[in-house]
Amino acid sequence: MNIMKIIGCILVIISSAGMGFYFSSEMKCRIEDLKELKKLIGLLRGDIRYANTPLPEAINSIHRRHSGNFQPFFNQVSMKLNELSGVTFSEIWKTAVQTQLVNTSLTKKDKLHLAGFGENLGYLDKDMQMNTIDLYIAQLEDEIKDLSKTVKEKAYLLNTLGIMTGIFITIIMI
Amino acid sequence: MNTKDELLKILSLKLRTIMGKLTLEFDKLQEIRLRMNAPLLIIYGNKEAFITEDAKMVDNPSKAVLITKNEIRETMEYISNYSLYAFEEEIRQGFITINGGHRIGIAGKIIIEDDVIKGMKHISFINIRLAHQVKGCADPVLPYLINKQAFGIYHTLIISPPRCGKTTLLRDIIRQLSDGSQYQEGMSVGVVDERSEIGACYMGTPQNELGIRTDILDCCPKAKGMMMLIRSMSPQIIAVDEIGSKEDLDAIDYVIGCGCKLIATVHGNSLEDIRNKPTLSELVKKRLFERYVILSNVKGIGHLEEIYDTDGKRLYTTLK
Repeated sequence: MNIMKIIGCILVIISSAGMGFYFSSEMKCRIEDLKELKKLIGLLRGDIRYANTPLPEAINSIHRRHSGNFQPFFNQVSMKLNELSGVTFSEIWKTAVQTQLVNTSLTKKDKLHLAGFGENLGYLDKDMQMNTIDLYIAQLEDEIKDLSKTVKEKAYLLNTLGIMTGIFITIIMI
Repeated sequence: MNTKDELLKILSLKLRTIMGKLTLEFDKLQEIRLRMNAPLLIIYGNKEAFITEDAKMVDNPSKAVLITKNEIRETMEYISNYSLYAFEEEIRQGFITINGGHRIGIAGKIIIEDDVIKGMKHISFINIRLAHQVKGCADPVLPYLINKQAFGIYHTLIISPPRCGKTTLLRDIIRQLSDGSQYQEGMSVGVVDERSEIGACYMGTPQNELGIRTDILDCCPKAKGMMMLIRSMSPQIIAVDEIGSKEDLDAIDYVIGCGCKLIATVHGNSLEDIRNKPTLSELVKKRLFERYVILSNVKGIGHLEEIYDTDGKRLYTTLK
């Protein structure tokens, strides 16, 4: 019985610590995802600015060059745009945000901003596109900067909290 | 993708449903006119017809479905591939060429800055002109254009009123000269397609067949285009559509002086009509062209009326 209790305590501490490590890792992954998204939107900007590329082609080009977490998202948008099935661009973009970003660590707030960005794309002239994209990239940069400042402390806090919670539960159970 | 699919994809959902139900041969459909708050109108087999909500062709416009602002907006979104910004230059010129070579003419409020057309807003009128390449329509004309002694062709001017098939004829002449025919071997052809009507390039790819030895300068001013082609692409023949300005004539002088053969079209009813026009009469006086091909639509679009040589001697006629 004592051995069983010890094994149980170890399992509780491991799982609690594991959760702490998971959340701190998600935070770090979120920063990486935001940086990747910023890079991809920068590619879109370049395609539109220098080559005046229409959106379906520009997004398809990103989808072909990128093999990370955002691949399913750009793949779906590209596919739906080329179908010309009678759905507006913002609806296609919004649906893809809601369904194709499960492999990323973006939060609900990040996805909301990304969906909002899609509502203004393709509208009016090239200057408008540049302004829209620049504004969104600036938003991403601010978010990355804020997160990067506090990520170390928060990660340490989450890891420690996970371990301590596990020990606390163990003590209560014993 | 066939004509029907190419067309339906660019229309708003409501219009797509109506046009999709229409029982007609899309190969005979010439134009679709979308005008805000006006009835839906098509030109089919050279005749006008209004379309009702339940997809019937009628003569009475009051029974037809009315085009709304939202339908124009939605249609423009699909025409421009969700990217109106990418077509600023085309909008300035008043038309967009889509997949399949179909030309979409647009009209609305023009934005002018420093006397230059900057763009267009409040697009309220769309004219979808469907492209139909007629292969073989140059067969009766080609034998008269071949110069067997010089192993080439004669400088040719096609004279025709609007909407009589001159561009369609020019297109087929280019194709046959480029590919080669029973009358001659294939020759390299340079095309200056200022209004993107001859090749109807979409994203750089010609949507019409212009032959295996043809190079196209798309959306390029004719005069500059002719010079560029001669300098860079070594054409044996240069083809241009709708000449008329002084710059065009100067460029034509240059082209002919370089030894290239020229095929051009011009608006007019007859050779006499061209002789009476101030700038174009110079062409006839200088005897630059060796063949004049006259078209009309008296017996249908693309009807070949007469062919003359440089002295005005009639070589072919269908007139009594």
